[in-house]
Amino acid sequence: MSVDKAIEVLKSNIDASAASYLDACVHCGQCAQACHFYENTGDVRYTPAYKMDLMRRVYKRHKAPLSGIKRAIGLVPDELTMDDLKEWEDLLYDSCTLCGRCTIVCPMGIDIAGMVRKSREGLVAAGVVPEDLISAAKRAIEFGSPLKITPDVLRKVCAKQEEEIGIPIPIDQEGADYLVILSAMEVLQFYEVIGAIAKIFRQAGVSWTISTDGYEATNIGIQMGDKDIARTLVGRIVGAAEKLKVKYVISPECGHAYSALKWEGPNLMGRAYDFEIIHMLELLDQLQAEGRIKLKGKDDRRLTFHDPCQIVRRGGVVEEPRRLMNMVSSNFVEMDNHGTANICCGGGGGVSSNSRAETLRLKAFASKKKQLDAVQPDALVTACANCRNVLEEAIDDYEMDMPVLGLTELVAEYLDETR
Amino acid sequence: MKRIVFHRLFGVLCLTIMLGMGVMSGVAYAQQSGAVPGNTTGSVNDSEFWRSIRQGGQGLVSIPNKTAGIMIQSEGEEWRSLRNGPLSTYGGYLLALSLGAIVVFFLVRGRIKITGGRTGRAVPRFSQPERWIHWFVASLFILLGLSGLLLMFGRYVIQPIIGKSAWSAVASASLQGHNLLGPMFVVALLIMLGVYMKDNIWQKGDLTWALKGGFLSKGHPPSWKYNLGEKSWYWLLFFAGLAISTSGLLLDFPWLVERVQQLQLAHLVHAGAAVVLIAASLGHIYLGTIGVEGALDGMTYGYVDEKWAEEHHGWWAEEAMKTRGDVIEGAGETMPPEKAPAE
Amino acid sequence: MTFLEIVEGPLWTLASSVFLIGAAWRIFGIIRLGRKKDISIPRASALLGAIKGQFLHFVPHGGFSFRTRYHLIAGYMFHLGLFGLLIYAAPHVLFLKENVVGFEWVALPRWGFILTAEIAFTGLILLWIRRISDPVMIQLSDADDHIGSWLTFLTMLTGCMALQESHDSLRAVHMLFVDIWLIYMPFSRLMHSVTFMFSRGYTGAFFGRRGVVP
Repeated sequence: MSVDKAIEVLKSNIDASAASYLDACVHCGQCAQACHFYENTGDVRYTPAYKMDLMRRVYKRHKAPLSGIKRAIGLVPDELTMDDLKEWEDLLYDSCTLCGRCTIVCPMGIDIAGMVRKSREGLVAAGVVPEDLISAAKRAIEFGSPLKITPDVLRKVCAKQEEEIGIPIPIDQEGADYLVILSAMEVLQFYEVIGAIAKIFRQAGVSWTISTDGYEATNIGIQMGDKDIARTLVGRIVGAAEKLKVKYVISPECGHAYSALKWEGPNLMGRAYDFEIIHMLELLDQLQAEGRIKLKGKDDRRLTFHDPCQIVRRGGVVEEPRRLMNMVSSNFVEMDNHGTANICCGGGGGVSSNSRAETLRLKAFASKKKQLDAVQPDALVTACANCRNVLEEAIDDYEMDMPVLGLTELVAEYLDETR
Repeated sequence: MKRIVFHRLFGVLCLTIMLGMGVMSGVAYAQQSGAVPGNTTGSVNDSEFWRSIRQGGQGLVSIPNKTAGIMIQSEGEEWRSLRNGPLSTYGGYLLALSLGAIVVFFLVRGRIKITGGRTGRAVPRFSQPERWIHWFVASLFILLGLSGLLLMFGRYVIQPIIGKSAWSAVASASLQGHNLLGPMFVVALLIMLGVYMKDNIWQKGDLTWALKGGFLSKGHPPSWKYNLGEKSWYWLLFFAGLAISTSGLLLDFPWLVERVQQLQLAHLVHAGAAVVLIAASLGHIYLGTIGVEGALDGMTYGYVDEKWAEEHHGWWAEEAMKTRGDVIEGAGETMPPEKAPAE
Repeated sequence: MTFLEIVEGPLWTLASSVFLIGAAWRIFGIIRLGRKKDISIPRASALLGAIKGQFLHFVPHGGFSFRTRYHLIAGYMFHLGLFGLLIYAAPHVLFLKENVVGFEWVALPRWGFILTAEIAFTGLILLWIRRISDPVMIQLSDADDHIGSWLTFLTMLTGCMALQESHDSLRAVHMLFVDIWLIYMPFSRLMHSVTFMFSRGYTGAFFGRRGVVP
């Protein structure tokens, strides 16, 4: 039975941290207020703590210390059923972007997003996953990218960029220091970033390359909670990096790619890498600090920065984007609760790949809109292609007029190319 | 420890009172059997002396509480007979009457259901602060009401069953609990009266509601956010509640008054108003819970079913539905009727 | 043996043993589950993160207002009041001296006790009524939440009802509730009084190594 598989996975996912989360939650419901899905629908089922309920029930029934005594007198929760899994599919996949804002408000500091991730793994075991994610995973495995960016497509896009900016874009170059990977969304829609990287790296004298073996940064396995797929996808990048003998792999402007590569990757692979992971923003900040890139002029529009959850709140790259913003902008304003308390775009954690969740995602954007309306920027800058795409769609849907820019491209735009 | 202090205090008290009597009689003397004491000019004879005490004469005491110099406080007897007589008797009748009326109402009318069932669409009725203060006052009202009823009727109802010494423990417990929670109630009541005042002021149409039969009628006459019955409950709570609060504070902090009579009066007001409020609260609780389907939602979830709103508070519902926002806290927009809050 | 002697004697011994052993077992049980070693390269110290996490969540941050403020105020009123009473009520000082620690300390004066009790009651009642009047908390709450609240409430109430200190039976009733509370605690969510440290600590450590503690 597939429910049993789910229960097994959930059980094995309960470690000391999960157990203490489930034991510490006093059901105060404060997390509801941190959740843009609850806030904009008023639906109590979207309360983050409620999303841990599958785990809670499995824990209390099977694993909690002293649960044996309670089980003997029938005081444990019922066993999960297929109906439960199906009900929570909606809560775990459609109405959670794993943004982790709920953790900030939790008096117990519970990492609810982490628990949702662990719960998703249970649903994967039972096959209760939104179809769009399953097909995206299939494409990722088959074509190397959930958006069917094959090595050929990549080569074409790079060639086009090469032509446009007149700087060679190294592909499959062994012995380069840095391996650049890209998110599918960047290759497909924001491909100017490739040219931007080429410009910056030429000035900074960075030796870099793109690999046709491992170029896709997004990791649908991480999003849907399928460790096998996640491992395969991380493995491609690790394989490519080790084949080309690079020293660093640059995690691009993509939120969960950073988590997948830097934080979860080694644990998925079961070994440390031979190279290091550095985020694009960290590298740019470092190059600037070392004086290897010189900028000229500043953008005088009123700009604000949208913090991608997985890079900032859950990634730890908090100050770098701010320093970069101040480098390129003369009129940089922060939103309320910027940085680690920032509000999600509404489409992280696989929600944007899940067409069924579109209405909900657009509704959830209202929280972000409120944040934006308070500062009234001329343009919004971010550092995640997925955020960027989701924000553009939502801004369009809400009939706002606000371009969304990528930070790397913005830096490239103000490079002093006379040097 | 406490007891010793008390004994000591008592000793001092007796001593001072005796000394006070000496002062009153003008001169200390040794009483001789059969002799008329006080054969000095200006002195008081025995019968006058005792009469003075009987009539509430105040001697001198050296402790701060000068009223302790009064040995017999005659008005106290009146208070006692009122409290143990008419107040307890009629208070008891009133409570029985209220309970009886509710039972009869239930038997005749049954549970007032939402005609045609719920729609699943929500109308916000009580804001978060309205709900908090309501339940806070309600919790204390129940605790204070129960302990108060025990203090008032326990000696007739509980004491014969459990005996005097056990009863004295229960009474002590009730009193301590009652005194402790009382001040919290006063503060909360004031806030609640403030929060709820706006919609409880007389509005045009209130009388129509009453003339059409109020909740005794079958046809749900329309009303504003609160109908005249609810408004009466508010104003009863306003006046009786304030009376209870003021008198209760005096009883809880007796050093605020100068004379024992004031405390006795305060007590009569306190108990009298409380009995009336408790009797009325039974009706409020009945109508808010089992009496009317869908009414409790407003005070728990904060929103009521559209159908309920239209049926019970037609005029208010019209306005509330007009100004209703897209998002109702706690109520999913797409909530299917079967997922609507159960009773 | 009188009722009071039972609840202060054998039942107290039983209850406090269940409490101590049960709570210890529960904590051990959680730690025993362990965590997989994280082999990613940390950006900062997990230990410092765990420590920071302990303190960070004492006060809300990140711009939350309404819901949080209610819980913050009611929560602190209740918890501070409760610990004030638990440790500084005169009869408790005496009881703890005689039965647990062997020494005494300054107790609250009577007015201080009453005030502390009123603060604690206000907090507890506010926290509980929110459970029955907020759709989110109604959805989340289970029997354990209510039993825990009520048991704590009754323990406090019976304590205050024995305030006159002139009836052994009232003291005994209070002790009975104390015993029940102690026995119930390790099996319930009241354990949050200990597990909150683990919860904050694990999250703090998890994020600490990423260089940010949200």
